[in-house]
Amino acid sequence: MKKRMLWTVLAAAAALALAFTPAGWAEEGVSANEIQIGQWGPQTGPAAAWGSVARGTGAYFKMINAQGGINGRKIVYHMFDDAYNPAKTKAGVKELQEGIGMFAWVGGVGTAPGLAVKDYLMKRKVPWIGPSSGSLHWITPPEKYLFTVYPMYATEARILCRYAVEKLGKKKFAIIYQNDDYGKNGVKGAREELAKHGLKLVAEVPVEVKEGDLKPHVMKLKKSGADAVLLWTSVKHAVMTVGISKAMKFAPQFLSTSTCSDFVLMNLISKGLWKGVIATTFALLPDSDNPLMKKYKTEAFDKYAGKDERWGLFFYAGIAFAEPLVEAIRQCGKDLTRENLVRKLEAMKNFQGISGKISYAPFNPKDPACRRGQNSSFLVQCLEGGKAKKLSGWITIDD
Amino acid sequence: MDMKRSYYEDIQFFSSGVALFWFVGLMAFLAVFPLLFKNYFVYVANYVAINIIVVLGLNILVGYTGLISLGHAGFFAIGAYGTVILMTRLSMPFLLALPLAALAAALFGFLLGLPALRLEGPYLTIATLGFGLTITQVIGRIELFGGRQGLHTPELVIGPWNLDNDRAFYYLVIVITVLMTVFARNLIRTRVGRAFIAIRDADIAAETMGVNLVFYKTLSFAVSAFYAGVAGGLYAFVLRFIEPEIFSLLMSIMFLAMVVVGGLGSIMGAIVGAGLLSWLDLQLRNILSIPYVGQWLEHLSESYFSITGVSNIQFILFGLIMILIMLFEPLGIFGIWVRTKKYWKTWPF
Amino acid sequence: MIEFIQMLVNGITAGSSYALMGLAMVIIYKTSEVPNFAQGEMALATTYFAYMLLHSLGFSMPAAFGLALLFSFALGCFLEFAVLRRAKETSILGMIVITIGLEMVLMGFVSWKFGAEQKAMPFPLTPYDSVVIGDVFISSLELLTFGVTLLLMLALFVFFRYSKLGVAMKATQQNRMAARLMGIHTNRVLMITWGLSSLVGGIAGLLIAPVMMQPYMMWDPLLKGFAAAVMGGMTSLPGAVFGAYLLGIVENLFGGYVSLEFKSVVAFAVIVLVLCVKPSGIFARHYVKKV
Repeated sequence: MKKRMLWTVLAAAAALALAFTPAGWAEEGVSANEIQIGQWGPQTGPAAAWGSVARGTGAYFKMINAQGGINGRKIVYHMFDDAYNPAKTKAGVKELQEGIGMFAWVGGVGTAPGLAVKDYLMKRKVPWIGPSSGSLHWITPPEKYLFTVYPMYATEARILCRYAVEKLGKKKFAIIYQNDDYGKNGVKGAREELAKHGLKLVAEVPVEVKEGDLKPHVMKLKKSGADAVLLWTSVKHAVMTVGISKAMKFAPQFLSTSTCSDFVLMNLISKGLWKGVIATTFALLPDSDNPLMKKYKTEAFDKYAGKDERWGLFFYAGIAFAEPLVEAIRQCGKDLTRENLVRKLEAMKNFQGISGKISYAPFNPKDPACRRGQNSSFLVQCLEGGKAKKLSGWITIDD
Repeated sequence: MDMKRSYYEDIQFFSSGVALFWFVGLMAFLAVFPLLFKNYFVYVANYVAINIIVVLGLNILVGYTGLISLGHAGFFAIGAYGTVILMTRLSMPFLLALPLAALAAALFGFLLGLPALRLEGPYLTIATLGFGLTITQVIGRIELFGGRQGLHTPELVIGPWNLDNDRAFYYLVIVITVLMTVFARNLIRTRVGRAFIAIRDADIAAETMGVNLVFYKTLSFAVSAFYAGVAGGLYAFVLRFIEPEIFSLLMSIMFLAMVVVGGLGSIMGAIVGAGLLSWLDLQLRNILSIPYVGQWLEHLSESYFSITGVSNIQFILFGLIMILIMLFEPLGIFGIWVRTKKYWKTWPF
Repeated sequence: MIEFIQMLVNGITAGSSYALMGLAMVIIYKTSEVPNFAQGEMALATTYFAYMLLHSLGFSMPAAFGLALLFSFALGCFLEFAVLRRAKETSILGMIVITIGLEMVLMGFVSWKFGAEQKAMPFPLTPYDSVVIGDVFISSLELLTFGVTLLLMLALFVFFRYSKLGVAMKATQQNRMAARLMGIHTNRVLMITWGLSSLVGGIAGLLIAPVMMQPYMMWDPLLKGFAAAVMGGMTSLPGAVFGAYLLGIVENLFGGYVSLEFKSVVAFAVIVLVLCVKPSGIFARHYVKKV
């Protein structure tokens, strides 16, 4: 049995090996009429709600191809499921990179999966644009071929705290955070900003990813007497926190990250309790009048999204992360090489698609900002029925 | 299956010349494997080999001693973190750090074995499960170990070689895997192995025959934890980045499934079970790329199911394969092999 | 002091959902000696079935819930008939692996059909309105869960002790061959056992769904329910419930007074300690295996 299986594997492997020899490419992943771009995403597993990011990018690329591609080249998009498991991410990236050969990688949900492949990609000098996570790991230390688009979590925390202190006059801040890199970055940002105003966090409440019972956490928040609570958790836990707080008659001002800024979804799950929550967001609102958003909705979403896909933040975030890459490829013209791509990205100043202004700078290993695309967000507040009210313009943190 | 006529026959390593021939053939194939196949397959082979090591250890515990453990991800984590910490903080060479980390895992295995002396069945399951969860939580808490942000693995330099690509690393992994397999196989043939089997079959009777339950049960835990620790140390270099969330309950469950599906109580069963299930784990996501099947599945998704969740077919297939193997052959894949051998032995009568 | 009482109350309410899952697991373990890892996903399938009825087919709430509970009973019976019974002479570990496989299949189907996004389950009571007793808050949903748990526990207890079917189930567990000789259809009894356990699980799922509804919602309750059942004794129904409440209380008290991060760790540590003292759980009788 084992021998038979071995032979089948050998035969299949030989066939695959023969099938994947690239022929005559000037640059890896680029031919006269095709560009190979890859992304991983958790299509299954506990993080599967973020799978729509990769699908959004897919719809965006289909839209571009329908309009003739970029400078005559069509984008061949390779998306695979890594179930948020770094071993699978690495397997998929290796398979695609060594099999077909990707020109560049875009997006990619998850800090841990991304970190597993970062060194591999950087060593092979493969550009990677817009990882779908705001971790400081991407820019400390900055890498020549890694360009971020998602604003750093710490930046979002600072923007929220600054607004709450200056415009809302809140004094006692507490934070409930997911006990991992995402949450800890939020705590860091909050501490920094509050220190600038002479304040401290009155409570820091960690939540495990798999936690099912948040009552002790909310009790701790309530005990601290906070009048503003930062929600740095997943969607599910954020809703539970707000709900339990209401049950315990604890009503601070809730401030949330962009993860929970999809108000239509939040309103639905929380049964209307999300009203009044303020969130940062790094991309325009789903019902915005912006012509680019409208175009994406009709050309990309309506035409190419799956029947049960929703026009929500995660979906068009996939578009937002790919916009700088597409723009840079366009600027490269016929001469599409990785070095040229990097040069065009470095020259990008205040590029704006459906998110904030994105700027890069020539590579400087000592300056993380050279690879940090955007450090601005704007604030929205949830209204009745999941509608959103813009509370501010784009706020940028420079200091 | 074969009658043994002398003690020497029972403990000899190769049961016949044919077995020796195939073994040499296998070793030769393993040695040239990276040269024949693309780098990606070498990566998959590394991943599979590491799972084989863990499952060999778990097989000693579950298959040969009859205990059960759902906490092996914890020992795996200790091995991984131990190796990385020893190499980065104490600047130890890899060849020293790996055994030390594995010994640390063995120590924890011993500690876990102590309460396990009185427990069995689901009670032992929960105790080991709790242990696995505790380890990841504690590691996540300690900032020295990188806390929740995780740790980057350093470069792997052994003597004059810098093992920074999959092919070079493969040779290290294969050598270690072969050594551990030989060790496991020999262990079973010694007094210790026979004590384990006696404990599995009837532990009270074994005790009356002079088998010290305390010693051997904890030893079993320690040995299987050692294997998991070695594998964990190697895993850190496959992934190049470790964080506590990776070593989850799901990983422990997968290990247990590999042992049972492969065949409890046989070395080859453990290898095959680990090989099959970890290979499936990595490759099933490609099912949508198979020409006709993929399109049919997508069509099915659009009509009756959701297209967004179409990748979940992996889970369904994985579960189905596990169930089918267990239903048709309770002894696992190795049981199928034994049945096939028996059938052909008396063919054509 | 008020805080302490609030934490106790929180612990008891948290324990209720663990108790339901624990009850479901104990019911199966009592008859088949198999810890059923697919319990959570069976409840998940029931919940999503109810959601489908409510959402896409427009049934009314009582009708949808009733049909969903029937579905869960049928699902349990079907799984036992189609899968577990076909496993001839499989060891306990083999059965565990089969249940794990079932768990993956069910999870795969539910995720495939409904997608991974969180959904909202319409329910008459929300978890966000609370009843205030003195200074202590209990949400109305939790009150309902607590009531349902106690009711179910009593009902099952009475069922197992006094009804013919219940006694038949106990007989099947104690000695299957003798039960068959006594004229009990053991196959049918096993099927009904699974159906009953799935029903209890389904109730648990429906009561958890208003709080959060996404494919991974049952993992934590399943784990805690299993741990609680183990602590209370896998063959004792009141034990499972007691264990669940104890677990909830320990978690909440520890989380409130000492550390939130190590909440689950301490819970498991307590369980291991209890098991060291009483190897078969608190309430179960420890049968010393004969050679």
